[in-house]
Amino acid sequence: MIVDGQLHGGIVQGVGQALWEQAVYSDEGQLLSGSMLDYALPRAAWMPNIELDQTVTPSPVNPLGVKGVGEAGAIASTAATANAVIDALSGLGVRHLDMPYTSQKVWETIQSAKGGPA
Amino acid sequence: MIPAAFDYRRATSLDDALQAIAGGDAKVLAGGHSLLPLMKLRLTAPGTLVDIGRLTELKGVRRLDDGRMAIGSLTTYADLLQSPASNFGLLRDALPRIGDVQVRNRGTVGGSVAHADPASDLPACLLALDAELVARSASGERTIPVDGFFQGAFATGLRPDEILTEIRLPGPRDDAGSAYASLENPASGYAIVGVAAIVISGDGAGIGTANIALTGVGEVPYRARAVESALAGSDGSPASIAAAAAHATDGITVNSDFHADRAYRTSMAVVYTRRAVEAALGRIA
Repeated sequence: MIVDGQLHGGIVQGVGQALWEQAVYSDEGQLLSGSMLDYALPRAAWMPNIELDQTVTPSPVNPLGVKGVGEAGAIASTAATANAVIDALSGLGVRHLDMPYTSQKVWETIQSAKGGPA
Repeated sequence: MIPAAFDYRRATSLDDALQAIAGGDAKVLAGGHSLLPLMKLRLTAPGTLVDIGRLTELKGVRRLDDGRMAIGSLTTYADLLQSPASNFGLLRDALPRIGDVQVRNRGTVGGSVAHADPASDLPACLLALDAELVARSASGERTIPVDGFFQGAFATGLRPDEILTEIRLPGPRDDAGSAYASLENPASGYAIVGVAAIVISGDGAGIGTANIALTGVGEVPYRARAVESALAGSDGSPASIAAAAAHATDGITVNSDFHADRAYRTSMAVVYTRRAVEAALGRIA
């Protein structure tokens, strides 16, 4: 249960990194995303159900055989989400974008690939 | 996160509240879900808070003799959603999108209107509905049309000695449909673009008249008159709706921030106007 919860939280955090979370600074160096009114975190209601599976391989290097699991979900989900967005845009010739893929960034990318504004 | 020191006074009646705010440096406290966060950030520091939260005469929705609906200013979003006002499709769309459960259970309709956040959802709905606002002061009562009431960010046509007591909406009609569509800021939940649309049917499948109001886009929520006149008398086809929606930001200096710059917000204003009009048209009984 604790491991599942850790993975859920990690996966969602990773998706947040790919789609929303960003430290935005003005040209003068002022942090613009400095409060929860501007810093977007992923919310539970935005997430699909998550199906988990696991392999159990005890660690040979400590007596209890335990391993850390807290960050495992966050590592894969960021890359998976990012790859999905780039795959969706690949028909427009898009090969790379810097995260996070906010709705404005995706819109701008589509517009510029079509030869429109931005 | 700690507000500046202030005096607190719980009003025992509307007259008592009006007397308490007549002194000057006082703010009216209703649900507190906009005012208290601002005070905690010390963006505002009123000398006195006059709490009108227990004035039950300002709560609830009633039907006027002429068929219109009168919403007491202390009615919460949650209570409004449970009232006959939710027969308006646009309110049924907009109310569940405001804040979260806690905000909707405490935040009040009148508080939102008087606070006049330029990105809040309700002002656009009231503009589209041609609502009438009732304000009371020690010297009497007056009604204010909602069009023109929002004068700037957090600035309204209310005088400092007035309290908003009631919001009046037109009665329901069978030949109208309405909808609200919005793109939310993913962090705050406020509207990057919010569009309230009411469509009244014309001959056949066509549109007779339309009321369109936008929030989050300009300095204040506004009626998109150019969209309305393009829709009036049109055939209601997707092409004519799209052509009308293209005027969504005519004459408006469109807001720009890092969540949505001017070009993106302008484009989304057009998209969400089209969606709101199509949804409203589809709801005409």
